[in-house]
Amino acid sequence: MAMVRQSFSAELEQLRLQVEVMAVRVDENLERMREFLATGDLEIAARTVAADDDIDAMNVSLTERCHDLLAREAPVASDLRFVMSVLRVLGELERVGDLALRVVKVGSDWSLVRSYPTTYDILVSMADTSVEQFRRALHAWSSQDLELAEELARSGAVLDLANSALVRALLELEGPSAIPAALHSLVIGKALDRIADHSAIIGSRLRYLLTGDPGHLAAEIR
Amino acid sequence: MDDEENPVHIEAATAANPATGEEVAAGPIIFDVEDLSVLYSGFRAVKDVGLQVVRNEITAFIGPSGCGKTTVLRCFNRMNDLVEGAVVEGALRFHGVDLYDKEVNPVEVRRRIGMVFQKPNPFPKSIFENVAYGPKLAGIKKKAELEEIVEKALRGAAIWDEVKDRLHKSGLGLSGGQQQRLCIARALAVNPEVILMDEPCSALDPIATGRIEDLMEEIKQDYTIIIVTHNMQQAARVSDRCAFFTTEVSEVSDTRTGVLVEYDLTEKMFSNPSDVRTENYVTGRFG
Repeated sequence: MAMVRQSFSAELEQLRLQVEVMAVRVDENLERMREFLATGDLEIAARTVAADDDIDAMNVSLTERCHDLLAREAPVASDLRFVMSVLRVLGELERVGDLALRVVKVGSDWSLVRSYPTTYDILVSMADTSVEQFRRALHAWSSQDLELAEELARSGAVLDLANSALVRALLELEGPSAIPAALHSLVIGKALDRIADHSAIIGSRLRYLLTGDPGHLAAEIR
Repeated sequence: MDDEENPVHIEAATAANPATGEEVAAGPIIFDVEDLSVLYSGFRAVKDVGLQVVRNEITAFIGPSGCGKTTVLRCFNRMNDLVEGAVVEGALRFHGVDLYDKEVNPVEVRRRIGMVFQKPNPFPKSIFENVAYGPKLAGIKKKAELEEIVEKALRGAAIWDEVKDRLHKSGLGLSGGQQQRLCIARALAVNPEVILMDEPCSALDPIATGRIEDLMEEIKQDYTIIIVTHNMQQAARVSDRCAFFTTEVSEVSDTRTGVLVEYDLTEKMFSNPSDVRTENYVTGRFG
């Protein structure tokens, strides 16, 4: 029997690609965030903020596209899971974008953060881990890879240890600018931790999309 | 199955999904179908259907044209007896009794298992006579008793308020949706246990369809309903359980035979079906 609804299938594939493009935009901003953390370059911080507007616009237009597909095509089974998963993954991507902004918004106070090498080095390594985690999520989505999605979903809180090491180190900071430096570092550390969490949640969403197992609906990362 | 020990009421607690072999929790079983095949003049139209229908539920049969769902539905009240050359093989047990047993009276079967057709087919008689027809055949003569039965049936089919002032006008003067509800009232008037519906809404507009669907939901307290529908959204909306049929083409003779692919809770069939053929059908990818 001939396959039908070909234009609908094409629209779903297009949507999957558009989500991937949005994720690549987020990834580019994470790279800018990392560069800002390394250099404190305010020009890069400004470019990150501008690029986030594009990410937000993509989120709005893709969300509308999902609503339109729901209304026109009344998708069921794997099609419905796909559209619903896209809606939820969009939310995660948008959130990761916002968290990158939170880091660059430290702005000129970056030099304060940089002036304490112990805690600064922890932040740089946390940034590496969170960006790495997000890349795995991006890769899992673009290849719709169940194994990778499961790995991500189970990876959970990869930055827990680094985070507590950071807090311990921050409590030992001394000197006149210790408190503002610690506060900024804490904000950055929290944002990086959350970026890794949201990446793992994308893995969870993808796992549910691919298996349809209601047990996979819950994203266990808090 | 323990039918032999318990021929009247089978209180089986499960029904199996042919796609997975997994058993699904269920209430009391009213119909137990086993290895059912239907042949028309030696040609096998449907083969090896096995499923159990649960009492006071709405069971939907879905599938592409020619998959045998209507043929199977017509077995449930022996309508296929009226087709020359039709042979039914296997077992179709109603409360544990095989409907195709020689001892079973097909007229009594059709009284207990009513049917509503695709196109509303009221008799060219008054509304009252349409509904009173079955009870009269059954020997009820008293006017007061007939009036009571007619009112109850028309109320049951949610059409009483629309027709109570014109009971003696022709049933053919009603709108399509009203005619279909009149036909449902006619089916209810003989006090059946089961109502078979063969695409009851395919000739109706969305509002009339919505009214029939509401009605089905209401009357399932008292009846068991089996519906054949081409409207997948309708199956998803109204049914508790859903059976998906498709056709298999024989490589040797190029003949098509209907088969049951999957039978499960409707929720499961439309969210995460077990068989890829069901998935392709409910998502509208083939057919």
